[in-house]
Amino acid sequence: MKGGLIGAVIAREWRTRVFKRSFLLGTLLMPLVSVGFIALTVVLSRSSDTRNLVLVEDMPGLITRLDAESGQFVPRCPGCFPERENHAYHFVREAPADSVWQADGYTALVEFDESVLQNKAGYVVYKSSPGMQAKRWMERDLSRAMEHAKVLSSTELNWEAYQRLKFDLNLVDREVSEEGRRTRGGGEEVRGFVGFIFSALLFLVLAVYGGLIMRSVVEEKSNRVVEVLIAAVRPEELLLGKVIGMGAVALTQIVAWCVLSTAGFSAFQFVFDSGMLSGSGVPGPGEVPADLLTVMAENEATSILLDIDWPLMAISTILYFVGGYLLYGSLYAAIGSSVQSEQEGQGMVFPLTMPLLFAYVFGIQAMENPDMVAFDWLSWFPLTSPVIMLIRVAVGVPLWELGLSIALLLLTARGVLWIAGRAYRHGVLAGDAQTGWKLIWQWMRGHGG
Amino acid sequence: MTHALRIAQLEKTFGSQRVLDGVSFDVPKGSIMGLLGPNGAGKSTLIRSIMGIVEPDAGTIELSGQPWSRERVRSIGYLPEERGLYRDMKVGEQAVYFARLKGMDRTDAIGALKSWFERLEVEGWWDKKVSDISKGMAQKIQFICTVVHGPELLILDEPLSGFDPINARRIVDEVRALAASGTTILLSTHDMPSVERLCDSVVLLNRGQVVLSGGADDLRESGWSGEQEVVFRGNDIAFTNALGTLAHLDGIEADAVAGTRKAAIRLRDSEQPGQVLQALGSAVDILEFVKVRPTMESLFIQAVERAGTPTPTAS
Repeated sequence: MKGGLIGAVIAREWRTRVFKRSFLLGTLLMPLVSVGFIALTVVLSRSSDTRNLVLVEDMPGLITRLDAESGQFVPRCPGCFPERENHAYHFVREAPADSVWQADGYTALVEFDESVLQNKAGYVVYKSSPGMQAKRWMERDLSRAMEHAKVLSSTELNWEAYQRLKFDLNLVDREVSEEGRRTRGGGEEVRGFVGFIFSALLFLVLAVYGGLIMRSVVEEKSNRVVEVLIAAVRPEELLLGKVIGMGAVALTQIVAWCVLSTAGFSAFQFVFDSGMLSGSGVPGPGEVPADLLTVMAENEATSILLDIDWPLMAISTILYFVGGYLLYGSLYAAIGSSVQSEQEGQGMVFPLTMPLLFAYVFGIQAMENPDMVAFDWLSWFPLTSPVIMLIRVAVGVPLWELGLSIALLLLTARGVLWIAGRAYRHGVLAGDAQTGWKLIWQWMRGHGG
Repeated sequence: MTHALRIAQLEKTFGSQRVLDGVSFDVPKGSIMGLLGPNGAGKSTLIRSIMGIVEPDAGTIELSGQPWSRERVRSIGYLPEERGLYRDMKVGEQAVYFARLKGMDRTDAIGALKSWFERLEVEGWWDKKVSDISKGMAQKIQFICTVVHGPELLILDEPLSGFDPINARRIVDEVRALAASGTTILLSTHDMPSVERLCDSVVLLNRGQVVLSGGADDLRESGWSGEQEVVFRGNDIAFTNALGTLAHLDGIEADAVAGTRKAAIRLRDSEQPGQVLQALGSAVDILEFVKVRPTMESLFIQAVERAGTPTPTAS
């Protein structure tokens, strides 16, 4: 029966909030913004919406030759200039005046002379910038063509042999763990940043939903529903139902964000990989296939997303959310029960947000230097661990430390919930205007009317 | 006789203020008992103690002959004085929620609520938000939420506040009907006419102590101090002369329309009404000779004034 009553309280809290327009809007907006950010970054980096026709002025004739059949200058190394949907080259020995080549439809002119082989510099002339991606393509394609020219000019080398011998070393990070096992390593700053994003989100969720609990308790006091409720449900049970109900709302939102973001990302990936977006289609000869993950990996802003242990992050986030939420939510509820209005409650909430705020600010420091000793301690301390430990999880943390931190958090949360229940029981029926932390402390100790 | 509620030596102190000081009384099954008392007498603390909202320092509470338990309390229908509804919730959804807190399952709750909504003619408001309905309508919804689970014991704290006279009468009728069907009712109110209309017995608290208790009729009867109302046709002087020293004359009023006179008299302690009636009948034409019992309001005021002792404090 008791479970049924708490269940009814949980269901009411959940239903009245989840079906609100503001909740639905917030739930849809977040994945839309995050997927939109990734999509925009990728699409913009590809500069796929403009067609680049580049005129290359090869005055010394280093990389081009005259094709007798067509009468046109063509690259000596055709494979160095892969075909791309929105990016093409045309080669000349001598370019016309700027106004003329622009009038002919070229978007950029690349010019260099004999000195290019020594000082490795040329010019790209344009009226409007062709974009970062196009510039990178031009640099890469022309560099390879120059390499080709240099190899051909050497009597000791040939292009095919050079291609075979060319060697790019890729150092993949591996860290030796405390247990002596090798784990994925390196990129600490990058992964720390992602952990920080998660901890900042958790900080936000704890503060926002804690505030919502407080508002809900104040509302029940002011609309005088609470006496009917407490006649049916113990104050401690009502508090538990309220905290869990509101937590379920938050969890619903988090899960919805994850599902919608994944679905949105997959949809974008499908559209991108199928080539429906211009500039992302079939790769030309010698070009790396332009699937989304490859493009993201090449992009500095998006590559960090691929370097995370997502399952561990997800599980840790949920556990720290549950523990942190029970801990802070019950304290917010105790404050709500001791005040007569939301404004009054806001003034009392500040000391409660201090540990969270401190953890958040410390997290910014820790992101850059995850080896600080204080970082370990704060990641175990229950008032700061929900925010701090997620950064360590992203960077890499021994499982026993993670387990200890979560166990400490959950035990503390259970204790605080019990103590807050006592304060709530006294406070929720107190009709006078007397408020303050001293009074809450008295109630927690079981004193007072 | 089985009692729906038995309170014995209940005590509660807040700080240095003793709010309940050895309160004891029984509420017989199927009866309506009025719980009266001036503001601050301890009525709300007593009710909250019964409902388990406040924990008494001493004393016992029995429900249907069994020791107090939270499970038994959940079956009580409780309409507190300080009451309200969630403004953002729909009326029907909210009523189902309260019924579920009283242990009903969803299907039963909806069925019983629909029936009550029809009975009190609020069925059109099921899907409306509470913020869209009037105060009187909200009061009806609260009453329904209190009784929907068919409680054996109903505790109503000022149930008629906020109702217009027509709807107040409606609620009084419903309370009567519930009592007739066997529900025991503890009615806390300052509305003395409703106490006279509804209550079988009353208990009057003052400063945490029971200062008056018993059957409503018995109390009014025992509080009678000889007041009679006499309607007659005839001469005032003849009436006064006939009354002589048998009774004290408080005054005579004329009813010009009916052409009658109405006198208020108070019998001497030792006199019998029959003797007075006989003496008056020989002088004037007596139309009515009615015993005027004290109102609950006057009994209330008298008892409180009698008990006007300093506030007891905890030792």
